[in-house]
Amino acid sequence: MSQSSDTQKDLLVKGNHDFASVTRLISDIPQQKTPAWWYIAFGISNILLAMLLGMVILLIWNGIGVWGLNQPVGWGWDITNFVWWVGIGHAGTLISAILFLFRQGWRTAINRFAEAMTIFAVMCAGLFPAIHVGRIWAIYWIFPLPNSMQLWPNFNSPLLWDVFAVATYFTVSTLFWYVGLIPDLATMRDKVKGFYSKIAYGVFALGWTGSNRHWQHYEKAYMILAGLATPLVLSVHTIVSFDFAVSIIPGWHTTIFPPYFVAGAVFSGFAMVLTLMIITRKLYHLEDIMTIDHIEKMNIIILVTGNMVGFAYAMEFFIAWYGGVEYEKFAFINRAFGPYAWAYWIMITCNVVAPQFFWVKKFRRHIGLTFFLSIVINIGMWFERFVITVTSLAQDFLPSSWGYFSPTYVDVLTYVGTFGLFFTFFLLFLRFLPMVAISEVKGVMPQADPAYYRNNQKH
Amino acid sequence: MKPDIESNLPTESLSFPEGRQLARIFLPAGMIALILTLSGIFFNAERFFYSWLTGFTFIASILLGALFFVMVQHVTRSSWSVVLRRIPETISYQLILLPVFFIPILFGMEYLYEWIRPERIATDELTQHKLPYLNFPFFILRNILYFIVWGFLGYKLYKNSIALDHSGDLSLDKKQRVLSAPGILLFALTVAFASFDWMMSMDSHWFSTMFGVYYFSMSFQAALALIVIITLFLIKKTAFSKIINQAHIHDLGALLFGFTVFYAYIAFSQFLLIYYANIPEETLWYYYRFEGSWIYLAYLFLIGRFVLPFILLLNKRAKSNHALLTGVSIWILFLNFLEMFWIIIPILHKGAISVHWLDVASFVGFLCLSIGFFFYLLAQNSLIPKKDPLLAESLKKH
Repeated sequence: MSQSSDTQKDLLVKGNHDFASVTRLISDIPQQKTPAWWYIAFGISNILLAMLLGMVILLIWNGIGVWGLNQPVGWGWDITNFVWWVGIGHAGTLISAILFLFRQGWRTAINRFAEAMTIFAVMCAGLFPAIHVGRIWAIYWIFPLPNSMQLWPNFNSPLLWDVFAVATYFTVSTLFWYVGLIPDLATMRDKVKGFYSKIAYGVFALGWTGSNRHWQHYEKAYMILAGLATPLVLSVHTIVSFDFAVSIIPGWHTTIFPPYFVAGAVFSGFAMVLTLMIITRKLYHLEDIMTIDHIEKMNIIILVTGNMVGFAYAMEFFIAWYGGVEYEKFAFINRAFGPYAWAYWIMITCNVVAPQFFWVKKFRRHIGLTFFLSIVINIGMWFERFVITVTSLAQDFLPSSWGYFSPTYVDVLTYVGTFGLFFTFFLLFLRFLPMVAISEVKGVMPQADPAYYRNNQKH
Repeated sequence: MKPDIESNLPTESLSFPEGRQLARIFLPAGMIALILTLSGIFFNAERFFYSWLTGFTFIASILLGALFFVMVQHVTRSSWSVVLRRIPETISYQLILLPVFFIPILFGMEYLYEWIRPERIATDELTQHKLPYLNFPFFILRNILYFIVWGFLGYKLYKNSIALDHSGDLSLDKKQRVLSAPGILLFALTVAFASFDWMMSMDSHWFSTMFGVYYFSMSFQAALALIVIITLFLIKKTAFSKIINQAHIHDLGALLFGFTVFYAYIAFSQFLLIYYANIPEETLWYYYRFEGSWIYLAYLFLIGRFVLPFILLLNKRAKSNHALLTGVSIWILFLNFLEMFWIIIPILHKGAISVHWLDVASFVGFLCLSIGFFFYLLAQNSLIPKKDPLLAESLKKH
């Protein structure tokens, strides 16, 4: 029953690191000279961000007619992009909160990174509902503010619940991320040389000294925030699914939507984390911390959630036939064989077929394939939202009003522009903040076991 | 470090031979109750079939929930649960017996399922539409398929685990994982369609894509409750108490808490979406189950199966409080039966709750028989998977 051979194999941090070398590995990154690729990437992101700004101004100036929306399709890329981005934003909290409560030690290498991604993705998501209202100067009406006209938002509408759900999610995710950052910000404060950077890190480290009492409060706060964030992982995408499912539009109204949307969100979120992580670990030489084992574990979660999504597709299709409701049946046959069949089959290929590769251990541990499939999956998940939103609207109850949705250049460039928003923030994060939770990674290293040094002296 | 922990623990010799005595009580009790239930066929055949189906879906839900628990532990390579994994393994092994108890249902198809009645098929367009799926031969074929899948998984996972006890052959451990991963996928599909066949098709017009997930959410919560009850019982009675510590119990309690919330999430989502859209062909299912005094049961599930356990188990200390956990678990187990009752019986008795002694006999019969089998099987083997490669890690849990 030799345990040591097992634990050697299962080590979460590879490459014979000790505490000091892990600290150096992470905290040196913001102190080094900015690499050339970073300037290039940041420049491109800024251009895209400027383009997004231009498109939004164009939209506000002219009204939402500049998008491809028209009768009968009143929801197009705007909602597709919103759901897509907010879905991507699910991985962070799942990794941080649920995997924390499940005591999955491997989350420590990627949680900081995924949480940052979550926050930026939710920012991109939040943009769309805000601008799609058309009269953005009246956007504050979505909040229940007392006013002289006695005008209140419709509390029965899931669109309003969405405002609260996404706002809460953003707030709690940001807090969670920040609280987790505090000990590492203090490490940065102690490490950096520059006068101003010392002050900047120092202010945000909130006077952390690493005393026993600080740690106790920190652990408690972290636990409470994890507990608060857990229901939010479910609630946000559940309410996003309600946006569709409470209606009586065929293809939207089906009871499996809430868990199906949540599974899809985790699916796409993990794929996005993998895409970014595979590039980042290479560029910053973090292969010892974000190891191939992490990639394999995430691929397993992708396989599981991918099959959940496949299960939901199957249920929907079966019940559409079984239920015998004419309109429901039509909606699904129309999806698979109608004018949007191309989008439907892209969705099926990317979301159901592609993840099946991960049944094989060799493929789960293949970095190139994982990177490729992670992008394929996010393409598939974009198409899933597109198929749901557009197919049900384009062929509605009244055949005389049927139409075919085509995006305009504003649709496309707005979507592309959100990548600018996302990567601008993400690159700033990579440049200035410790991208791995240093203190938490140390907690899952064998050195953190109080008996470690005693035992190792024996041999 | 490891040897001194293990040498103090009775991992090698831990068993529960007293289980045979318990089996000698529970097995006959369950048999008698089920024979009494079966006797109902002579004087109230209609009610008998409804009661039998209620008991059957109740016990099936628990066995299936336990099977899922075992498979998830293998797939995730969980170390914490190794010490208590023999319990769900033994519960789900009984799945090989489940088809025997399904046979009576085949004789009551006309009572239970409106879609099989010829006059219904002749007059109802929707029933005709569903004929390719809802017909007797295909119904039997599907159920045979479900029982093969579950029986195979339950049997193999149990037998491999027992074989590992004796041989210590670690390739068996890998086999369990290889079996469990596709097993979960098959489980999801079979349980969903079984729930459609057994319960959803009783209201032959009604449909809900969530129904399979709904049945699963009830199953897993109930199975966890039973695992908690048995674990705490064995701690009281045997040296299990030296092996299982508060951390294991806390994790079980946390799972029970988590899946109580999951159950509420699924059950409420299904209700809300149907209520909100307010389409007659969907709302009718709830209409009958909210009509008259049936609504009280719906309130009871909301409060008793979610709010109450949620509040009681929210506290960290509550999750490892043995008395509280046992109480909440027994209550959840009972409510699981009641919810099957609430799904099935309103079809027979519209507008008012009706309790027949056959329901009670069926509940007692299925539960006692299952517990009896459980202890009979448990008595024959080690209480823990003693050669499991992750056992040492599991024992160290804190």
